[in-house]
Amino acid sequence: MNNIPMKTRSLKLLEFLSLEKSADRLLALEVPKDALSWTRFCGALLLVLVVLLFLSGIFMAFYYSPIPGTAYDSVDFALFNVPFGSVVKGVHHYSWNLLLMVMGVHLGRSLILGSYKAPRQMVWVTGVIILLFVPLFIITGDLLPWDQKGYWSTQVRLSIISSVPGMGHIAARLLQGGSLTGVVALTRFYVLHILMLPGLLVLLIAVHFHFIRHRGLSEPLGADPVSRPRIPFYPNVVNRWLFLFIMVSIILGVISWHWIPPFGDPADPTDSSYIPKPEWWVLFLNQLVSVFKGGLAVLGSTIIPAGLAGLLICLPFIDRSPHRHPARRWKILLPAAAIVIAILTLSIMGYMEHFVLVEN
Amino acid sequence: MRKDKQLFTVFAVVSLLFFMWTGKSVCLAADIFIIRAEHLQQAPKGLKDPIWNQISSIPVSVQGRDVLSESKSIVSTQSAYTDEFIYFKLKWKDPTRSVVKQSWKFDGVNWHHQEGNEDRIALLFETTRINKFATRGCAVTCHSPPDVPKKDWKFTTRTSAEKGDLWHWKSARSAPYQYADDAWLTIAGNPTGSYRETGRRKDAGKGGDIKNHTQDESKPIYMQDPTKKQTVPGFLLKEEAIKINDYSIFKAGDIIPFRLPVKPGGSRFDVKAESQWADGHWTVMLSRKLDTGHGDDVSFNPLKRYSFAMALFDDSGDDHSKATRPMILIFDH
Repeated sequence: MNNIPMKTRSLKLLEFLSLEKSADRLLALEVPKDALSWTRFCGALLLVLVVLLFLSGIFMAFYYSPIPGTAYDSVDFALFNVPFGSVVKGVHHYSWNLLLMVMGVHLGRSLILGSYKAPRQMVWVTGVIILLFVPLFIITGDLLPWDQKGYWSTQVRLSIISSVPGMGHIAARLLQGGSLTGVVALTRFYVLHILMLPGLLVLLIAVHFHFIRHRGLSEPLGADPVSRPRIPFYPNVVNRWLFLFIMVSIILGVISWHWIPPFGDPADPTDSSYIPKPEWWVLFLNQLVSVFKGGLAVLGSTIIPAGLAGLLICLPFIDRSPHRHPARRWKILLPAAAIVIAILTLSIMGYMEHFVLVEN
Repeated sequence: MRKDKQLFTVFAVVSLLFFMWTGKSVCLAADIFIIRAEHLQQAPKGLKDPIWNQISSIPVSVQGRDVLSESKSIVSTQSAYTDEFIYFKLKWKDPTRSVVKQSWKFDGVNWHHQEGNEDRIALLFETTRINKFATRGCAVTCHSPPDVPKKDWKFTTRTSAEKGDLWHWKSARSAPYQYADDAWLTIAGNPTGSYRETGRRKDAGKGGDIKNHTQDESKPIYMQDPTKKQTVPGFLLKEEAIKINDYSIFKAGDIIPFRLPVKPGGSRFDVKAESQWADGHWTVMLSRKLDTGHGDDVSFNPLKRYSFAMALFDDSGDDHSKATRPMILIFDH
């Protein structure tokens, strides 16, 4: 047995598992060489972060108790009593923050370079859907530690959801499981966070990859698509991804070791003096809600955010010109830049209102 | 490729700054005091150690309730920690130094208790989570249970799973031995010693005080042992006291303390205290091991935040105090 070469043993195992054809397909798979350039690493980094979120989430679930009376203490225990518990929670915390940031960069790059154009419309559409989907993880995950910040942020979000005309009130009630945010709400948020949403995310990522696989990566601007050099997916891309995974894990681990993830006081539903501060990624939405008041509130809470999301999804079908160079797409990029500036301005206004002015 | 690397570097730096911000983004209710314990390489050598000048002082306001509702004070609070110990330096205005604690005074015929009690300060930390203590502070332990009449309120937690660690410095009873009486808080019932039907429990070990009176409570039973040198002037320590055999030796105006501090030991003696009354102010420095290894003490992990509260008692022998709003102890790194 020991005399059988390793390669032969691997082949026998693949054959035993009926995976030899899949292995052949993987070995034969080639991707453009520019897939390894640093400007393209956002996609690979996003996958690394998703995997890290899944792994750290599984670890935390081993210690978590989704009941209001014990949830906080179970997180406290995992954070401070379990060896490397703070590192794992930190990796989870910093990963989702970085995930949102990298998704923004990934989207921005695709927008500037016109990667959404035919034949890659569906790559863009599925990517935007993933971008819009990820905040659901944060909304459901925020409540789980049952601390003041999570509890009161959830209350604010539920009130915003309730204000959405039509289904808003029903959606909020469905999430809450009643009129109060208690044990039913926590259980529902937990199930959504660890079961339903991850399942849907995996499905969305699979669909995104399906379109990338069949429509290919967009060419670098000015490159000749015919003479584009290609490299094997395995081992070149796979090894590069594994290297990135290890490096990001180490970096996030070190960051988590030095900066313990935030964990506030236990939730007190009767403490109305607590004013939650919005997360950085939601500052502009929060500001939108506070800009439009009274009868116009629906503009800030629903119409503008939904309109922006709709615009993003439909972009490949709005901009049908064959040109990809930014200089020839100013009609798209100028309004996009104006929207980005508006978002940044609102975020800065929100930051000033909630962090600078309050602390002064 | 060089441009790619520059872009990557910018991205990495922005990410790092961003992490530092998100890592600190815990916010608190507006009315919660934050006390930051600053890390020291060397332990403060006492109240007057110049190192205290480098540690920021937080003015913590305390206010009375009920009959003391108009009474307010400020406790200047400093906190520091080393790898092994935590320190608090607390300073508050008190024009009258109260250490009498109902001492006996002889009028030539009879013994009478003197007017006056003692000054005290108490810190209560969460050992295990006390429901709503983080947001309500002492109110949830002093006014408990909230659904019974005020006269039935006890100093207690609502369930046996909720525990607090109580450091109680008493100017007449613990200061002579330079410690703060270390106790713990749980659900009311099963009182021990002189403790009433509350949730307060003594830590394991010796300490506290005994009452100095005869069986009929008409006069003192102990006096300073003339063969022993009085180690703390003005105080009668139990270990330096002997029973009075001959009351004829006393003359009018003689004073004998009513409460005799007992030499402390064990877990009850975990919190060391150095105190001074000068210029109308009390200054008390408390110190304790971060982790005493005792089950009746809160174990401080510098990575964590701790809810705690403070109560000030001025010339008081009862529960009426001036207390803080909720406070959070954070260890700076």
